[in-house]
Amino acid sequence: MRAVVKDGVGIFYPQGFLDGNNAPSFLTIDDIKATEQLKVDMLLVSLKKVIFFNFNGIDVFVKLLLRIRIKNHIAIGICDYDRKKYDAIMTYYKDNLSFSLFKNSRIAELFASNFVVKDKTVLLYSSDPSQRSAMAIELYDHGHNPVISQTKEDFDEKAIHHDAYYEIIENTRLGLMGQKVATRVTGNAIIYTVSGFLDAEIGNTFNIAYHTNSLNVGFRLFIFDAYKVISMNVHAVNFLSKLCSSAAEYNATISFVGMTFEKTPIAFKEELEDSGMMFFNNMDDILKDKELLEELGGSSVAAIKNKRTLTKTIVAELPDFIDATVTTIEMMTNAKAVKKSANMQTIAIENIDDKMASSIGFYGNIDGMIILIFPKEVAKKSCALLIGEETDDPNQILDALAEFVNIIGGRTKTLLAEKQISVDITLPRTYETAQKLLEVASMKKGVQVDMSFNDDNFTFFLTR
Amino acid sequence: MITAEDIKEYIKKIPPTPAILNETILHVNAGDLTKAAKVAQEDLALASYLRNLVNKPIYGFKNEVHDISQIFGILGVNIAKQSLYNYMLSLLSPKKWVLFAMNQHLFYDLQADLSKHWYDILEHLNIDDKDIGSAITLLPSSIIICEALFKENIENVKLLRSTKNLDYNTILKRLTKLDLFDISKYIAKTWQMPESIGTIILASSGTRPASDERLNNLGKWMHLLLFYELSKPQFLEAGLNDFIEFNVEYVMDIYEDFMKVMEVKE
Repeated sequence: MRAVVKDGVGIFYPQGFLDGNNAPSFLTIDDIKATEQLKVDMLLVSLKKVIFFNFNGIDVFVKLLLRIRIKNHIAIGICDYDRKKYDAIMTYYKDNLSFSLFKNSRIAELFASNFVVKDKTVLLYSSDPSQRSAMAIELYDHGHNPVISQTKEDFDEKAIHHDAYYEIIENTRLGLMGQKVATRVTGNAIIYTVSGFLDAEIGNTFNIAYHTNSLNVGFRLFIFDAYKVISMNVHAVNFLSKLCSSAAEYNATISFVGMTFEKTPIAFKEELEDSGMMFFNNMDDILKDKELLEELGGSSVAAIKNKRTLTKTIVAELPDFIDATVTTIEMMTNAKAVKKSANMQTIAIENIDDKMASSIGFYGNIDGMIILIFPKEVAKKSCALLIGEETDDPNQILDALAEFVNIIGGRTKTLLAEKQISVDITLPRTYETAQKLLEVASMKKGVQVDMSFNDDNFTFFLTR
Repeated sequence: MITAEDIKEYIKKIPPTPAILNETILHVNAGDLTKAAKVAQEDLALASYLRNLVNKPIYGFKNEVHDISQIFGILGVNIAKQSLYNYMLSLLSPKKWVLFAMNQHLFYDLQADLSKHWYDILEHLNIDDKDIGSAITLLPSSIIICEALFKENIENVKLLRSTKNLDYNTILKRLTKLDLFDISKYIAKTWQMPESIGTIILASSGTRPASDERLNNLGKWMHLLLFYELSKPQFLEAGLNDFIEFNVEYVMDIYEDFMKVMEVKE
C-alpha cells in the first residue's frame, strides 16, 4: 500500500479489518522504502475505511510512522475516526501518545506546513488545556484564526453555528509536530517560520529544494518569521549567510522578522546584515508597507532580469515532457491528444479571460517548469476523472488541475529516470486566471506546444 | 485508458455456460443429485474442480473425498449449486494474473472462503434459498473483470492513485459510466442466473443499494464479507484490498451481527 500525497500530506488508506495478523501485509518492504523517500511534511493513516482494528494492527502503522518521523523530521498521526475509534486509540496509547490524532483529514491539513488554504476560521476545543493551547499556537503559526472554546458548554453552543467555521476541531490531539521549517506563501512573499534555538540542524529541516525552486519560479522576497527564535549559533549564521548570498544572484531579498537578539551576539546580526539579510521588528513593517514591499520584490512575482533560458539538455528531452502530457490527457479523457504546433517563444495566451492554468517545477540533473493552460470548460473535462461529479466550483477544478499536473510531473520524472536523468518535482501550483500566470511567466522564454483533444485546445509550456 | 468499447469487447468474449454444466445445474435444481453427479463426472475439469474445492480445509472433512456422487451427497443441493457456479466463474479467471498477485490456487481459496462464510451467514439469517446461496459465487467476478480491464494500464493507475485515493471501480465508472458490478450483473444474465443474484451483486458493490430491502440487506452482508476476506494477509499481498471502495457506513447496522457470525473477538 502506498500513501496518497497531496499538498505535502501523505495519507495511507487501509480498508476493512486491521489486526496484528494482517497489518504487516498492508506494507511491503518496497512500500516502506517508497514511504521513506516521500517528500511530505506530514504522514497519516486514515481510519475512514477501517471497520475493525486492534492495538497490534494499528501499531504496525504507528511504528512505521515513528520510524519515518525520526528519519525525515515530519509530523505523523492518525486521522478520520469516530469517537469510538478515538477512545480506543487513547486507551492503547494513553501513556505513550507521541503522534497526532486528527478527527478528519481536513483538520490535519490545517496543521500541515504546505497546505495551500490559509486564513481559515476554525472552532477549537479540547478538555486538555495544554492541548488546547498547543493547537491554537500551531493554527496561528499556520496562518489560521482559531476560535478557542474554554469549556465544553461554550463549544457546544458555538458548534451549532457550524457554517461559520471552516472546520470544528474536537477529539483531536497534537503529538510531536514536524521539525521541518514551516513554509507558507503570503501574496508574493514566502514566509518560513523558525523557532527555538537555531543551530546546524536548520540545514536538515530547511527545505532548500523548495527554496531554490521558489527562486527559479520568480519569488523575490523571503521572510523568516523569527518571533519565537531565542538564539542561534555560528552554524545557523553560516547557513543563513549562504542563503543570502545565493539569493543575491537572483536579486532576491531575505529578511528576518521579530527576533530580539537579547540572547544572541550582536556580531551575528552584523554578519548576517553584511550578507544582505534585512531585519525588521514586525511582519506588518514589510507586508503593510506597499512601497517597501515593491522595493523588496514582494509586490509581484517579478520576471527575472537575467532570464534563464532552456538548455540543450531540456530541449533534447522535450519529447518526454510532451509524451507525459499527451498520455496523461489521453488517460484522463479517453480521447486522442494531438500536437498542433510547437514554437520557441514567450508564453502567448489567446482569450486570456477564459483560461485557468497549473504549473509544476522540476529540479535535479535538469531544472525547469511545466505549465498547462486550459479554457475553463476544457479544464473541467480533462479533470473529470479526478473530480467525479460535474462541478462548477473553481476550487475543486483548480484542485484537480493541481493533481493533473502532478501526475504529468510524476510521469515525466519516470520517463527521465529511464534515461538516467534524475529529477524531483515540486508541489503543483494553480492559477485561477491566466493573468495570474502571466505575472510569473510572461517574460519567460520557453517551448510552447498547442495541443487539442476532441476539438478542445490547451497549451503546454516548458520553461526555466 | 479504458473505454466503453473495451467493455463491449470484453462482454462479447464471455462464454456461454457449457452444455454439461447446464445439464448438471438442471438436475441440481430438480433436487436429483445422483443424476447431477453422473453428468458432472463426464466433464473431467469440473470433476477435478469439485474434488479440489470440497477437500479445502475450510470445509473441514477429515478424509479426502474423491467420488463425485459422494461429493454431491456431502454438499447437498444448495452448496452443490453454489459449487457449480463457482466452477463456471473459475472458467473466466485468467491463467496468468498480472494486475493482482493472484494465482489459480489463491483464487479457488477465495471462492471457497466466500462460499463457506456465505453459507454461515445465510444460516444465521435463516435463509434457505438456492438462488441466494449461489449469489456469492458471482462476487469474485468483479476481481476477474478488474484484472482483465486494467492489466494493460497498471502504470497509469499507479500514477493516478499516487495523487488521488481512487479505487478501480470508481475509475472505471468515471471513464465509461459502467462499473465492475454492472459487468458482473451482465455475466449473471448471460449465464441465465436468477435476476435476484444480479441485484444482490450490484448492492454488494457498496455503491448501488437495492430497492428491495431484503436483497439490499444481503448486499450489505456480502459487501462486508468481501472486505473481511480481502483483509486476509494473502489477499492484501495480492493487492486486492482496495480494488473497490469499502463503504463502512453502508454496513454499520449489520456489523455487530457479522462479527458474531464470524466469531471475531473485539
